Amino acid sequence: MDRVFGIDLGTTNSLIAYLDGETPRAIPDPGTGSPLLPSIASFQPDGEVLVGDAARQRAAEAPLETIASVKRFMGLGAADVRDEDRRRYPIASSRGPVVRFAIHGREVSPPEISALFLTHLRRRAEEALGEEVKRVVITVPAYFNDSQRQATRDAGRLAGLEVLRLVNEPTAAALAYGLDKRKEGLVAVYDLGGGTFDISILRIRDGIFEVLSTNGDTRLGGDDMDRALAALLDLGDDPDPRVVRAALIAAERAKIELSTHDSARLRVEVPEIGFQRERAVTREELEQAIGGVVERTLEPCRRALKDSGLTAREIDEVVLVGGATRVPMVRRKVEEFFGRVPHTELDPDQVVALGAGVQAGVLSGRRKDVLLLDVVPLSLGIETVGGVMERIIDRNTTIPTAARQLFTTFMDDQTAVDFSVYQGERELVKDNRKLAHFTLRGLEALPAGVPRLEVTFLVDANGILNVTARDLRTGREQSIDVKPSYGLTDEEVEAMLEASFDFAEEDVSARLLIEARNEGDGILRATRRALPKAEPAERAAIEAAIARLEEAMRATDHNRIRDLVEELNQASMPLAQRIMDESIKEALEHRSVDEVV
Amino acid sequence: MGDTSTTGTPQARAGAPVARCWSCGEEQPPAPLCRKCESVLPLSADADHYQVFGLPRRLSLQPDELAQRYYDLSRRLHPDTHGSGPAEAREASMTNTAALTRAYRTLRDPLARARYWLELHGEKLGDDNRVPGELAALVFEVQEKLEDLRRASGPARAARAAEVRAELEALEARDGELHERMDTNFRQWDTAHEAPALLRELRSILSRRAYLATLIRDVRAALEAAPGRAEPRP
Repeated sequence: MDRVFGIDLGTTNSLIAYLDGETPRAIPDPGTGSPLLPSIASFQPDGEVLVGDAARQRAAEAPLETIASVKRFMGLGAADVRDEDRRRYPIASSRGPVVRFAIHGREVSPPEISALFLTHLRRRAEEALGEEVKRVVITVPAYFNDSQRQATRDAGRLAGLEVLRLVNEPTAAALAYGLDKRKEGLVAVYDLGGGTFDISILRIRDGIFEVLSTNGDTRLGGDDMDRALAALLDLGDDPDPRVVRAALIAAERAKIELSTHDSARLRVEVPEIGFQRERAVTREELEQAIGGVVERTLEPCRRALKDSGLTAREIDEVVLVGGATRVPMVRRKVEEFFGRVPHTELDPDQVVALGAGVQAGVLSGRRKDVLLLDVVPLSLGIETVGGVMERIIDRNTTIPTAARQLFTTFMDDQTAVDFSVYQGERELVKDNRKLAHFTLRGLEALPAGVPRLEVTFLVDANGILNVTARDLRTGREQSIDVKPSYGLTDEEVEAMLEASFDFAEEDVSARLLIEARNEGDGILRATRRALPKAEPAERAAIEAAIARLEEAMRATDHNRIRDLVEELNQASMPLAQRIMDESIKEALEHRSVDEVV
Repeated sequence: MGDTSTTGTPQARAGAPVARCWSCGEEQPPAPLCRKCESVLPLSADADHYQVFGLPRRLSLQPDELAQRYYDLSRRLHPDTHGSGPAEAREASMTNTAALTRAYRTLRDPLARARYWLELHGEKLGDDNRVPGELAALVFEVQEKLEDLRRASGPARAARAAEVRAELEALEARDGELHERMDTNFRQWDTAHEAPALLRELRSILSRRAYLATLIRDVRAALEAAPGRAEPRP
């Protein structure tokens, strides 16, 4: 059974993990020994892309060619970008359903950049384990909407991966934590990452991880803390992007240092333009600067509790996830809110990836004792008279879930019916997010009100909406035209796959096939040479093994070739022993065969 | 010979719907899992919530038993459990789990279950917003107090808020009584044979409770908006 891998595609760092027996393991980078891959991509003028630490090093000198925290832009349209981001990122001026960055005369979308991290992680795993990585589970913030989830799936596709499931980050963390501690009960997961915040309330019982409610803010995280701290340095009205980037890097460093010290230095230096600024910052100043950010995390916590029907006191355990939860103020506020000390034993940077690794094991069938029951984070509805949102699926409904609506025509001979789907909690559709416009076409011309079209809205286990329709009068499936409001079209994804970035590395399976065939060649030649000395009893078996291996060599399954090489090895072992005993050494090893030839 | 509808459940000659397992071929009454080989069978769109759970139709249900059944079925039906199985299993698991989710939401909540029960018996709660007769006096009183609260200012607010809180308690007490009546009604379905009378009573209780629920929600909202809020619920 093909192994499935779990990937945490984070705002700040990305990781890949798998289930090794019972234990999830995050695969480290062979150079640094750390499983963290900084989610940063730097585009060089020659067309090559750096990712990870190398990209981070280039960030200060080439800030407009280096994209960090691209996750914050996933699923967004050009119009969604905030002003402060327009100054810091090279946003392409084209308006459209997908925001793009303009770099070196080329427009790059967020899913393409995320795909670079996925590809890098994929290769890391393939090299570490010697097997092909095809099927994955990717984590997303629980509060990610439909467009953001689609964008994540697009990234997987662009990286040549089959995304079996999107898993919500707090749920993955709960999984890693719950299995590690064998805990049962009501658990709150407070996940404050680089760019997103999630709070999920779960019930863990008998290996079932049931999400009761989830809430969050997909534009709130450690990055906002860095920004608030950097603002303490007066950088002027329109600072050079290099100054801005250097200031953010300095702020991040200071923030981290202030977790263990009472004071730190904020030092910004850009020698190329002779800019230098420095100041001391105390923990107290940090807390004053970031207080607003931390406060903003508490409202979603209140809402999640309310939706779950529980009070803070009723929660048995609180788990902290995400690098930003290392900040002492965050821990203090969370402890105050829930009235208990939160758990921090598991590495907040790795716990989501480890949980993804476990879920990957569940999906590949390797683990059967665990089940995640997650929920849709935001309500779904359609537009009705007066621009009012009519809810079809409530937030926090367990997924997969489906709802049906009956549609009909309002005019005689009307041949099409359409409706729009929105996601959000507000009363009016204009305050919610429009997902797509649907049209049922080619309807039979009938009097008004006679057609009966049943539309099924299914939110699948990924939290993504699927819409199908049936004509109840004929019982037949009705086709639907979908016009999504956001996201890449299939044609765009195809085009991107064609023009993918130059990583300058060959396809792994091609390489594995070449190696397997070389091995096969070697053993076949050696065995054929030795065959005349075979005894009648073993000859038939050896010839059969040879035939099977030859057939496999003509195909492309490198695993099968390897298996049959081993089989032939076994079948010809006694023969080989005898030949060696006759002192023709290493007759069946590749090298000696070449020499003998 | 029966014809196969789009949902793939052939109609047997006797008229009761029959499902055929895509894996082992066994014909059986519709159920989420094959009784012979345990493969996931896609439930038809009109399977009722009790069929999804494999439970007999009863209005009284033990919440713990229902929850346990839900977890057991989830384990066997959920798409994650069939992540590596054949396409038929994966599709059927998606359909069935969505049906299970909906069935659980409905059956778990006594009010939702009761409304569903009415539907199963061909009845429906009307959409009308008329005040149920017996509540008229109480409702009038509450509206008056709410109006007083809205118009009050300064120290008078606290006093008016206290009065509204008293009304809220009265409303909740009334709802509590109706809840008890509803419980009794539930139990009687198992033993009694006067379905039409029970149905009428259930309908009446539900429509009054629906009215009260809306009113209680409005009163709570009004109190939250006013300073001197009610104590947070324990």
